[in-house]
Amino acid sequence: MAQTSTRNGTSKFVAIGATYEGRDPRLLERMLPLVDYIEVTPETIAEVHDNQITLSNEIITELKILGKETKIVAHGVGLSIGSHEGWSPTYFHLLDALLEQVDVAWHSEHLGYTKVDDQHLGIMLALPKTEEALDMVCERVIKIQERYKLPFLLENIVHVIPDYPGDFSEAQFLNALVNRTGCGLILDVYNLQCDAHNHGFDIPNFLDELQLTNVRELHVACGVEHNGFLLDVHSQLTRSSTVQLARDVVRRSEGSAEVVVYEFMPEAVPGLGRDAIAGELGRLRLTFRN
Amino acid sequence: MNLATHQRKLLALFRSNDEVPPDEDAYIQRVARSKDLEEARGNILLWRVWVLERTAPLTFNLLKQRNLLQETVSAFIRGHNISPFRETQAPAFLEGLSGHQENLIASVAQFELALLMVKQGDCGFYVVRWHVDPLRILNSLARGSPVEDEAHEGAYEIHISQELPSGFRIVSLHDKGACA
Repeated sequence: MAQTSTRNGTSKFVAIGATYEGRDPRLLERMLPLVDYIEVTPETIAEVHDNQITLSNEIITELKILGKETKIVAHGVGLSIGSHEGWSPTYFHLLDALLEQVDVAWHSEHLGYTKVDDQHLGIMLALPKTEEALDMVCERVIKIQERYKLPFLLENIVHVIPDYPGDFSEAQFLNALVNRTGCGLILDVYNLQCDAHNHGFDIPNFLDELQLTNVRELHVACGVEHNGFLLDVHSQLTRSSTVQLARDVVRRSEGSAEVVVYEFMPEAVPGLGRDAIAGELGRLRLTFRN
Repeated sequence: MNLATHQRKLLALFRSNDEVPPDEDAYIQRVARSKDLEEARGNILLWRVWVLERTAPLTFNLLKQRNLLQETVSAFIRGHNISPFRETQAPAFLEGLSGHQENLIASVAQFELALLMVKQGDCGFYVVRWHVDPLRILNSLARGSPVEDEAHEGAYEIHISQELPSGFRIVSLHDKGACA
C-alpha cells in the first residue's frame, strides 16, 4: 500500500522524514536521497556560550544549506507545555532563533511536562486528562499559534507511570484539544505500543475514538525491553508491527497524514550504523511512498 | 486534586524514596507502589548516562572503570536540578567531580571541564595539577581502554587555553618542559 485516499477520493503520497542533529555529514549524505523532511530539535542543536544557551552556528549553517534540498520541521522537547506554573521560556528563545534563520514547514512539541515549579523531573510525564489541564494547554496552544504563524502540532507521549483517572479518555482529550485550538497532531505509534505493552493500553479502541483526520505527522521508532518494560529510547530499527500500525493510521487518516518520521537518537547511530539507518528509510519509503 | 498538587506530588515521588503516608491520595499511593516508578527512575539514570558518555567521555570512562558510574550519576541526579538541555549536563557533572576525593578522578574532571569550556569559547587560561603522568592516562581514557593501575607518579600540570594548539599542553614540573 503506497498511497492514502483523501476525503474526496483522490490519492496522496505520504512523505518520509528522519531526525538529524547536525555534524554528521556522512549520515546526512545517506539519508537525503531517501527523505522529504528532516526533523530538527532546537534543544539538541544548542550549545552553551558564556552560560547562555544558543543554537550552534555551525549546525544552523548546515541547516540553511540543507533547507535548499529538503523540507525542515522543528520538533521541540523542552517546552514543557503542561507544567502548571508555566512553560520554559528558554525553548522559545531557541525556536525564535531557529525560525529566524531556517525555513521551517511547521513546528511541534510533546503533550507533557518535564518540570514542576522549575524543578526538572529528568523525564517527561503525561498530563492528567482533566478539564483543568485541557483548559490550560488549550490557552497555551492558542498563544503559540498567535506568536508563530506556522502550523503547530502536539504529540502523544509515552506514559511512564500509571495514568491518572481524569475526565477524558486519551483520545477524547486529544480530540477536544484539536477542536478547541485547531492545532494538529503527531501520532507516535511506537509510544502507543509502549503504552500497550507496559500498561495494557487499548490501541484499537484509542484509534476508533481518535479523530484520525487531525493527524498530520506520524512517528515510528523502536527501543529496548528492560525489566519487562518497553522503553521509549529510539535506539533500534522499527519493528514490522510498528510500521503496520503506522500504515493503518495513514490509511484511516483520509489524507491528513503528510509525513512519517523515523526517529533515532544520535547516540544510537554508531550501534545501528549509517547503512542500517539508510536501509530503514528505504524500507519506509517503499512502504509509504511507492 | 488540582493540577499543581498532582504535579508536585509526582515530583516528590520521583525525588524521594520515602514511604508515602497512608492517608495520601489513592492515585499517588498507586504510583508509589508501582514498578513503573522504579523503572522510570532507572530511565532517568539511563538518559543521563547516555548523555554523559557522549559529552564527558574521559571522566565517564574512568568512573566506569572504577565501578563508580552508577553511584556517581545517581548522586548527581539527586543533588542537582538538572536542566533538560544536554549541553549543560556535562559541565554541572564535571564541576561536581572536580573536588572528588580520588585525585585522579578530580584531575580528569577538572581537565575535561576546562577543555569543554575552552571549546565553547571561554577565553580563560586554566591549569590542572596532576600527581601522575597524564599522557598515558588520557590516551587510555580517550580510547576507552583500561587505565594502568601503576601510573608514573610525578608532578605535572595541564594548561588549557584557546591559545594553545589543540587546546592544551602537558607540562612536567620536574624538567619544566612541555611534554605534549
